[in-house]
Amino acid sequence: MAQKSNFTFRPWRGLVVPQLLLLCACLAIWQIGADTFGTAFWTSSPSAVFEALMTWYRSGLLWSDVRLTLAAAFLGFFLGSIAGGLAGFILGWVRWLGDLLEPFILAYYTLPKIALAPLFVLWFGIGLLNKVMFSAMLVSFMVFITTYQGVRQVDRDLVTNARLLGASRPQIWTKIAIPFSAVWIFTGLRIGLPYALIGAIVGEFVASSAGVGYRIKEATSFFDTAAVFAGLVVLMAISATLLTILKISERRVLRWQNAGPQQPAPAE
Amino acid sequence: MVSPHATRYWHEHSGTHKRKIVNKPESGHNGGQTGTAAQGEFDIEFKGVSVRFGAMAALGETTFSVRRGEFVSIVGPSGCGKSTLLNLLAGTLAPASGHVLYRGRRVDGPNSDVGYITQKNYCLPWRNVQDNVALPLEFRGWSRSQITHRVREVLDQVGLTGFERSYASQLSGGMLQRVMIARTLAYGPSTFLMDEPFGSLDAQLRLRMHAEVLRLWQTTGATFLFVTHDLQEAITLSDRVIVMSSRPGTPKLILDIDLPRPRDVVELQGEPKFGAYFKTLWNELDGAKI
Repeated sequence: MAQKSNFTFRPWRGLVVPQLLLLCACLAIWQIGADTFGTAFWTSSPSAVFEALMTWYRSGLLWSDVRLTLAAAFLGFFLGSIAGGLAGFILGWVRWLGDLLEPFILAYYTLPKIALAPLFVLWFGIGLLNKVMFSAMLVSFMVFITTYQGVRQVDRDLVTNARLLGASRPQIWTKIAIPFSAVWIFTGLRIGLPYALIGAIVGEFVASSAGVGYRIKEATSFFDTAAVFAGLVVLMAISATLLTILKISERRVLRWQNAGPQQPAPAE
Repeated sequence: MVSPHATRYWHEHSGTHKRKIVNKPESGHNGGQTGTAAQGEFDIEFKGVSVRFGAMAALGETTFSVRRGEFVSIVGPSGCGKSTLLNLLAGTLAPASGHVLYRGRRVDGPNSDVGYITQKNYCLPWRNVQDNVALPLEFRGWSRSQITHRVREVLDQVGLTGFERSYASQLSGGMLQRVMIARTLAYGPSTFLMDEPFGSLDAQLRLRMHAEVLRLWQTTGATFLFVTHDLQEAITLSDRVIVMSSRPGTPKLILDIDLPRPRDVVELQGEPKFGAYFKTLWNELDGAKI
């Protein structure tokens, strides 16, 4: 398998240096622009954002805020993925049920779900539960819709063939349908992941007393742009980390997709 | 009911014990089987079977039987219901009239006693070769070690040793077809249904696969029902060739192929009888087109 790595396409390898340079250039323009035009009040500046981050860190609140937001996002992601995945599977597999409910799903799809945030406060209070449920609601829909579509695309011939090979109904699910739709399920998870954070943050915007979202809102009310940006930086870091973790697990599960080209015949 | 019996059967036969080749003096003998089986002589029976797809009659009333251990090919113009016959036997299709018996039992659902091999490859792309071959054994609840052992055995048999960890996307058409054969072989079905399995292969590889099928037939003692549009293929492999009429198809000629076994796929083509059979079949088919 040594030859495999030669063929795997990794565009990012050679691009890291230019990408870092680009980042530095952006930061420099931001800093210089803010200094020259005196717009720091609205745009803040990299140095001020760094300063705000350090203040946040020294106050000891950074970790507790991050922990709170992460907990809400993670639990919401977890619950939402399970609920959405399960619903997607059932409605995708049982065709008539899916057809029956399709218009209702579409109606729900067009609803701007952020508008439900106040309602969730009413239902689940202003504690952690509210954020978890809200982010679960957002995530579940994303996972649902992709899983639903993935399961609908399971090759029916493949299923018939498996039955001829002696598969029972549960085996068709575990050995054919779920692996077959794994690509779609992972797509749903990948799309859903940022929504878990969105859910947690919006929940914190609406009603809370701590968390990264709360910190951003608080800073805005004090016109502390640097602290707002500091909050955004932290959010970006969180979401990038989570996405990387997800991508690694995806690559592991869907390893077969990256199988190299045809292998040479072994010596006979 | 077939799995314990069939696997035991396979193990006995995969070694030195080969199918007894009676030099087929007359057709009508039971393909060289020692008739100890209790379930009766016929493996496959079509009794007045017809199939309709909506308003279209896909298969006219068809009656014929295949003896245990026999190799029967079906040829005919496209759309005459050749594949339909196999689907009926596999239980993925229900007849509009008549009934289909497999070993004396009526087929009324997916029939996992047969091995069905088509031109389409049903490799699961997320499983490598050995895990694909293991699939029917997993379905049957075999233990890990049994599966490993068996998979190695059948992969060796079809000449895929060394490709255990390859994925379908890395294999050529001929190799994929061999994976499908290995997978079917693994659970030792008593009957093989093959639907133009080598249709997409080039001529050279085809001949090699014919030799492999003949070897398979000989070592497993299984019954073969083989659909093809290649007359040479049909003659090379079969004890009998059934010619179907055009749609709605019915058998219009059943030709006994009285060629000595074991057969050599290349030598066979030089036999004078081979040419005569070809001519008979060709004329029969040509008539169907008009």
